[in-house]
Amino acid sequence: MDDNPHKAHRPAKAKTKQTGFNEKAFAPKSGRRADRQGRRNVERDQTRLHVPLVNRTPEDHPPPVIVAVVGPPGVGKTTLVKSLVKRYTKQTLTELKGPITVVSGKRRRLTFMECNNDLSSMIDMGKIADLVLLMVDGSFGFEMEQFEFLNILQSHGFPKVIGVLTHLDLIKKQETLRNTKKTLKKRFWTEIYQGAKLFYLSGILNGRYPDTEIQNLSRFISVIKFRPLVFRNTHPYLLADRFEDLTPREELRQSKGKCDRTVTVYGYLRGTNLRHGMKVHIPGVGDLVVNGVTVLSDPCPLPDADSEKKRKLSERKKLLVHAPMSDVGGVTFDKDAVWVNVSGSFTRTMATDIKGVGERMVMDLQDVDGTLEDAVAASQIKLLGTSEGNILTNDPQGVALGEDREGNSNSDDQGNDWDTNSSSDEDDEGRSSFDESDHNDDEAFEFPGSYGRSTARRSQRSVGDLVSTDQLPQGVEYADSDSDLGDDTGRSGGGTFGGIDDDEGFLNHGKFQMDDDEMEPEDFPQWKNHIAENAALIRPRVARKDWMQMIYQSSLTPSHVVHGELQRHPEESSHTDELFTIRQDGEVDGDDEDDRASASLPKSDLRKWASGEVLDSIRHLFITGSGLAHGDSHGLDEVGDGFEDLEEHAAVPETNPGADSEASIAIQAAKKKELKRKFDEQYDEPETCKPDFYDQKKHEISQQLELNRMEFEGVDDVSRALVVGHTPGSYVRIELANVPCEMVDNFDPTYPVVVGGLLPAEERLGFVQVRIKRHRWFSKTLKTNDPLVLSIGWRRFQTIPIYSLDDHSIRMRMLKYTPEHMHCYATFYGPVALPNTGFCAFNSMSSEVAGFRVSATGVVLDVDRSTKIVKKLKLTGVPYKVFKNTAFVKDMFNSALEVTKFEGANIRTVSGIRGQVKKALSKPDGAFRATFEDKVLMSDIVFLRAWYTIQPRKFYNPVTSLLLSDKSNWTGMRLTGQVRREDGLKTPLRANSTYKRVERPGRRFNTLKIPRKLQATLPFASKPKLMKSQKRQTYTLRRAVVMEPEEKKAVVLLQQMQALRKDQVARRRAKQEERRAVHRTKMEKEEEKKGEKKKEERKEYMRVAGVKSKRESEREEGGARKRRKT
Amino acid sequence: MAQPAPTVLTFSGHNYLRQRLVLSILSGKPVRIDKIRSNDKNPGLRDFEVSLLRLLEKVTNGTVIEISYTGTSILVKPGVIYGGNLTHDCPLSRSVGYYLETIIMLAPFSKKPMTLTLRGITSDDKDLSVDLIRTVTLPHLQLFGISDGLELRIKKRGARPLGGGEVQFLCPVIKLVKTLNFVDPGKIKRIRGISHAVRVSPQFSNRMIESCRSVLNRFVPDIYLYSDVYKGEDSGKSPGYALSLVAESTTSALHCAEAISEPGVSPEDIALVATRSLLAEISNGGCVDRKHQSLVLLMMVLGSEDVGRCRLGEPTPRTVQFLRDVRDFFGTSFKIVPADPDNPESTELLFSCYGTGFVNINKSVA
Repeated sequence: MDDNPHKAHRPAKAKTKQTGFNEKAFAPKSGRRADRQGRRNVERDQTRLHVPLVNRTPEDHPPPVIVAVVGPPGVGKTTLVKSLVKRYTKQTLTELKGPITVVSGKRRRLTFMECNNDLSSMIDMGKIADLVLLMVDGSFGFEMEQFEFLNILQSHGFPKVIGVLTHLDLIKKQETLRNTKKTLKKRFWTEIYQGAKLFYLSGILNGRYPDTEIQNLSRFISVIKFRPLVFRNTHPYLLADRFEDLTPREELRQSKGKCDRTVTVYGYLRGTNLRHGMKVHIPGVGDLVVNGVTVLSDPCPLPDADSEKKRKLSERKKLLVHAPMSDVGGVTFDKDAVWVNVSGSFTRTMATDIKGVGERMVMDLQDVDGTLEDAVAASQIKLLGTSEGNILTNDPQGVALGEDREGNSNSDDQGNDWDTNSSSDEDDEGRSSFDESDHNDDEAFEFPGSYGRSTARRSQRSVGDLVSTDQLPQGVEYADSDSDLGDDTGRSGGGTFGGIDDDEGFLNHGKFQMDDDEMEPEDFPQWKNHIAENAALIRPRVARKDWMQMIYQSSLTPSHVVHGELQRHPEESSHTDELFTIRQDGEVDGDDEDDRASASLPKSDLRKWASGEVLDSIRHLFITGSGLAHGDSHGLDEVGDGFEDLEEHAAVPETNPGADSEASIAIQAAKKKELKRKFDEQYDEPETCKPDFYDQKKHEISQQLELNRMEFEGVDDVSRALVVGHTPGSYVRIELANVPCEMVDNFDPTYPVVVGGLLPAEERLGFVQVRIKRHRWFSKTLKTNDPLVLSIGWRRFQTIPIYSLDDHSIRMRMLKYTPEHMHCYATFYGPVALPNTGFCAFNSMSSEVAGFRVSATGVVLDVDRSTKIVKKLKLTGVPYKVFKNTAFVKDMFNSALEVTKFEGANIRTVSGIRGQVKKALSKPDGAFRATFEDKVLMSDIVFLRAWYTIQPRKFYNPVTSLLLSDKSNWTGMRLTGQVRREDGLKTPLRANSTYKRVERPGRRFNTLKIPRKLQATLPFASKPKLMKSQKRQTYTLRRAVVMEPEEKKAVVLLQQMQALRKDQVARRRAKQEERRAVHRTKMEKEEEKKGEKKKEERKEYMRVAGVKSKRESEREEGGARKRRKT
Repeated sequence: MAQPAPTVLTFSGHNYLRQRLVLSILSGKPVRIDKIRSNDKNPGLRDFEVSLLRLLEKVTNGTVIEISYTGTSILVKPGVIYGGNLTHDCPLSRSVGYYLETIIMLAPFSKKPMTLTLRGITSDDKDLSVDLIRTVTLPHLQLFGISDGLELRIKKRGARPLGGGEVQFLCPVIKLVKTLNFVDPGKIKRIRGISHAVRVSPQFSNRMIESCRSVLNRFVPDIYLYSDVYKGEDSGKSPGYALSLVAESTTSALHCAEAISEPGVSPEDIALVATRSLLAEISNGGCVDRKHQSLVLLMMVLGSEDVGRCRLGEPTPRTVQFLRDVRDFFGTSFKIVPADPDNPESTELLFSCYGTGFVNINKSVA
C-alpha cells in the first residue's frame, strides 16, 4: 500500500514533576490580596518561632527520655509498658517496678515509669517526665485524676503528651465506637492542643497490645522532639532506678533500726550539671546532703561503633533492659560491690540445686568463717620473688573487717567520693602490687534484698586502699605539679591541663624521659632511688607557677602565693615550751594592707620606668608599636586591620624557616580562613550574612555550648567533674546522709524517687508572694489562714497563706477569701522559689476526696524576708460632749499615749461628718478632743479607719509521703473543725457569737422648727408645708342627696347593665375552666411520659456509676487483677 | 523532716572582710568571722568596718549581724538585697571607695534599683577613688550586661582629712549576668585622665597634666587629660588634688592608675607616680587591671551555666584569697592556665570557670 512510514510517535512529554501545589493556581488576583497574603505568611512564620532556649542536655550523649505512663488503675498501664518493652528488647517482663530503661534507637534511650494513681506520684512524675502517655479507658472516658494530672503538668511546665485510648474492644457497636472516639478526641484536644496525638489500642493479644499498634506508637515516640523546659533546664535531677541502704548494720542493731540511714540512689543525671556541694531534695522525703557522687559505667549504653561490631544475631545479647527494681538482669556492678540476683527467695536448702558457677561461688562465700586478715596470715603470699617474708596485715582497720563495716563506711563518710573516684582511676593505671593482691582476695559477691539487703554481709574493698584514697586533698587536681612528682609515680601525664610546662621540663631533662605505662608493677622502679635529687635538679628549670595548685591546694598565704615565698611552718615556733611566745606578725594580724583595692606599687618598682629602654619595652602593647614582639598572641585581633597583616604574617615564616613550619602553616591557614570569612561577610550577599535576631541568638547559644564543650575537652572526667560538675546523661550513684529510716523501711519501688538538685537560693526559707487563682473546678473558696499544700519547684509542702489584693497600689489588703474567677496574691512562709516558677495547690492530698483536688494554680512573684499585708481596723468611740464643731470623744483609746500616736488621724461619724483627732484629754483615760466639719450628734458613733499589718504564720510542713507505709494518705495539719469532727468534740459556743433578736428602742425625732423669720425669707420650694388634715367633716360629706326621677331611672339602668355584665363574666369563666381541665389532663399524660424517660436515664447513669465503683473495689481487692469483660 | 541547718562558714582575721561579706550575702550562706584584730592593742572592728556593716544592713532586708562584745568576732546571717533610696555617712577613716567597691558587687542583684548617696572622703590612697570607679569599675560591669541606668554622680569632692564630698550611685537591677568571654587584651589605643584639684590653685591640675603628657606622649597620640576643678561648696572641706589615668585598648580593656596629693610632694611628682603606675599596670597585661580582678571574677562565677573566660595578669594576693573564698561559698573553682603557653616570658593567665547559673532571686516579677 503506501510505504510512506507512519508518522513517528511524538516523544512523550517529560512529565513535569509537580512538587507541592501549582503555584499559578494560588497566585493572588489583586495586588491588595497579594499584600494581605504576604503579611499573613510573614505573621504565620513568626508564630512558629519560639524564644531561643539553651538546651543544657548534651546532644551527643543524652540521658534516657523519661516516658511516664499515667492513668487510672485498670486502664492498661502495665500492659502498655510490657508491650513497649517487648517491642524494644524482645523480652517479656513479669513484674514491673520502678523505672525501666531500654535502648530505642541509635541516639535515644527510653525510661518507662508507670505512675500510680496517687496524687503525690502524679506530681513527682509530672515534674520529671519528658513524655507522658496518658492512658484513657475508651469504654469509660476521662476520669478526675487525668484532669488533675493535666493541671499539675500545666503548672510545672508542660511535657509532651500522647493520649492512648484502650479498652475500645469493649464497645461493640461501630457507631458508638466512632462517636466515643470522636468525643474523647475532642475533649483531649481541648485539654492539650488542637491536633494532639491520640492513639487507639484495641484489645489484648497474649497479654499485650497488638504488635502493629505498639509499633506505630513506638515510631511516634522515637521521632518526638522535646523543647527544653525552663525549670528542668536550671536544675539537675535524677529519677532513681536503684536504691540501696548503706547504713552499718551495727548502728541499725543498736538503734533498733531507728537511726538515720546512709543510702545510695542510682540513676541517669538529667537537667543541668550536678555541681559539687549541691544540696538535693527528694520530694516526699526532704532536703538531703549529698555525701558524694560517683559516675558509674552506663548500665544501658547507647550503641556505638564498637558495640555494633560486636553485635551478634542472638537477640538476648543485643537488647538491653535496665530495670534494677524489677529484678531484670542477674548481675549489677556498683562502685565497690557486685550484686548477683538469685531468683526466688533465698534459702540455704537450695544448695543442692545450684546451677551455675557464679551461684556456687556465692554459696561458697557464705561459708567463709575467717576474716580476711586470718586468710592473709595463713597464706604464703610473697609480694615479690625477692621479698623476705610473707605479706603481713598490720593495718589496724583491717582487723575489724569481718564483723563490722564501720571502718569502711566511716571512711566513706569522711572522704569525698569525688576524690575516691579520682584515685580509683589512678589505681587502675598503676596500682602497686600490694593493693592488687588485697583487691583480688577481696572481690566478694553478695545478695541484695528487694532493694537493700536483708543479710548483713557486704563486700569489702581493702580498707587500706580506701583510706589512702580518702586522704587525698580535696580540690581540683589539674596538674602533675613538681611536688607530685616524687610520690605519684603511676600517673601518666595525660588528662591534665596545667601541666604543659612541667611536662616540657620533664622532657628536656632527657634523663628522666621514660614511659610510665610500660612499667610492670612488680619490678621495683630503680630510678626512684634518686627521686629527691632528681626532683631538685628539675625544679629550677620549671619557671612557671602552677597557679591552680597553689591557690586551691596549698595552704600558702595569698601574698606568698603571689610573691613566691615558701611557706612558713607555724609548728616551729609553737613547739617551744615557754610560757610566753613572741607573736609573729602573721597575715591575720597585719594592718589593713590587704583590704585595700589600690595597693600602690613600691617606689622602687616605679623608678625603673624613668629609663627610656624600659618604656620602649612595652611599646608593643600600644597600637603605635609594632605587632612583631607578640605577633602570635595577638594574631587574631589584628585581622580586622586589613590585608597588610596577611603579608606581614606571611613574612614571618621566612625569618625563621623550618623550625615549626607546620604549626605556622596551620596558623596561617586559620588566619586566611578568618580573613576570607570576613571578606565574604562584607562583600558576598550582605543580606544572608546579617542574620535576624532569632538566628543570631540561636547562633550565640550554639557557640557558647561549643565553647563549653571545648574548654574542658582534654580534661579527664574526674577533674572536669570538680569544676563543671557531673554532666547530664551520666549514670551516677549519689550517696545521701541522714536519710530518715522510714524512707528505707517503707520503700516501695512503684512510687518514683526523684532526686532534685537545689540552687543555693532555694535552700533558704522566706516569705514568698505568689499570684494565685482558685481553680474553676474546685468546689470551695479558699480561706486565709487555712493550710494549703503547695507544689513548687521540687518541693511539696503544707503552709498557711494569706490572700491579699493590691488596693489602689497603696497597700496590700488582706482578703478573707479568694475572689471568684480572679487572680489574687497569696503570701506564705516557705522555701524560696525563683520568681516565675509555677505551682499548684491542694487542700488535701488524700485519695478519699471525691471532687477535683487541684484547688489553685499560680506563679511565684516575689521573695522577701518581710511582708506588708494589712487588714482594716476600725476603732469606734462616742462623743460625750459636743460643742459647735468640736466634740470630746471617749471609748476609742485606752490611754493618752495611744491618743498621741493617732494625733491628726482622720475620723468620721456614721452620718458621714469628717473630722480629725486633736489632742488627748486628761480626764477620762483615752478620751480626746476632735474637730469635725459640722456639729456631730451625741448619738453619733465616731470611727477611725486604720490599717493593721499582719504576718503570715511561719508554718512550713514538707509533705513526707515517701516516709509513710500508706503513701497515698498523707495528712498534714488539719483544720480545727476537722480535728473536732474527728475527735467528736463540740464547737465551743461563745455567748457573744449567738444570734439574738436585737431589741432597739424606737427613736423619737423632734420636729424641725424653722424660725418664722427665716421661713418668710425662704423660697416656696424650701418652705415647710405644714398643712394639718381637717378634723371636722366638710359640708360635701355631710349633706343628704335626693334624686330626680330621670336621675333615678338612669341609676337603675346602670345597675341592670352591671348585673348583666357580671353574669356574662361568670359564664365566660366557667367555659375557660372547662377548657383548662382538658388541657390539664393532657399535660399530666405528657408529664408521665417524661417521668418514665427520666427514670430510664437515671437507671443508665447508676449503671455506669456501678461499673466504676465495682472497678474501684476490684482494685482495692487485688491491684493488678485483670478487668473482666462486661 | 526539717530543713538541714545552713552551714556557717568560719573565717578568721579582719582581712578580706568585705569580699567575705559580699560572698555571704550573694550566696546566702551565713558567715562567722572571728579573731578580728584579737592580738592588736586596739582589738575588734574599726569604725569603718562597723559602718560598712551598718550600710549592708541598710541595703539588705532581714540581715542579722551579731557583733561580739569585744568586737573581735561577727556573725552575719544574710537576708535579701533590697536596694532603693539610701543615704550613708561614711566615717573619715576610709574613703567612699571602700563602701562603693562592696556595694557595686551587690547592687545589681537587689530587689529595687539602688540609689545610694554616700558622704565622706571621695579619694584617698587606700581605695579606688570615685573617678576610677566611675570611669573604670562601672564600664567593667557593662561587660556583664549591667549598663542601663548605671551611673556614679560626683556631687561634691572631699579630700582628706575632713572630707565633705558626696557621690550618688545609681544601679539598675538585672536578672541574669551575661557570660564573659574576654580573652583578647588588644592594644592600648587611647589614654584618658582626670586631674582634679580642690581648694588649691587650679594651676596644680595643669601642672600634673603637663608632667603626665611628657611621659605618655611617646606611646599614643590619643591622650586627653581633663582638668577638673571644683569650687565653693562642691569642693569639700580640705584641700587636695589627684590624677587618675585610664588606658583603653582596641578591645576596650581598661587599665587604670592614680595618685593622690601628698604633703611636700610637687604635683609633677604625683603625676609621674600616677603615670608610671599606669605603665606598670599596662605591662602587667591581661584584659582587666589588677584592681578589678576580683570584681570580674565574681561576675564570672555568677554567670549562667556556661564557661566564662577572661585573660588576666598575675593575680594579686587579694585575688588569690578571693578565689579561695569563692570556692568556699559557691563551690566554684577556676581553671587557671597560662594564656599563651608558647611564650615563656608571658605571665598572663587565662581564667575560666563554669558559672553557677546565679539568678537574681530578689527581683520580683512585674
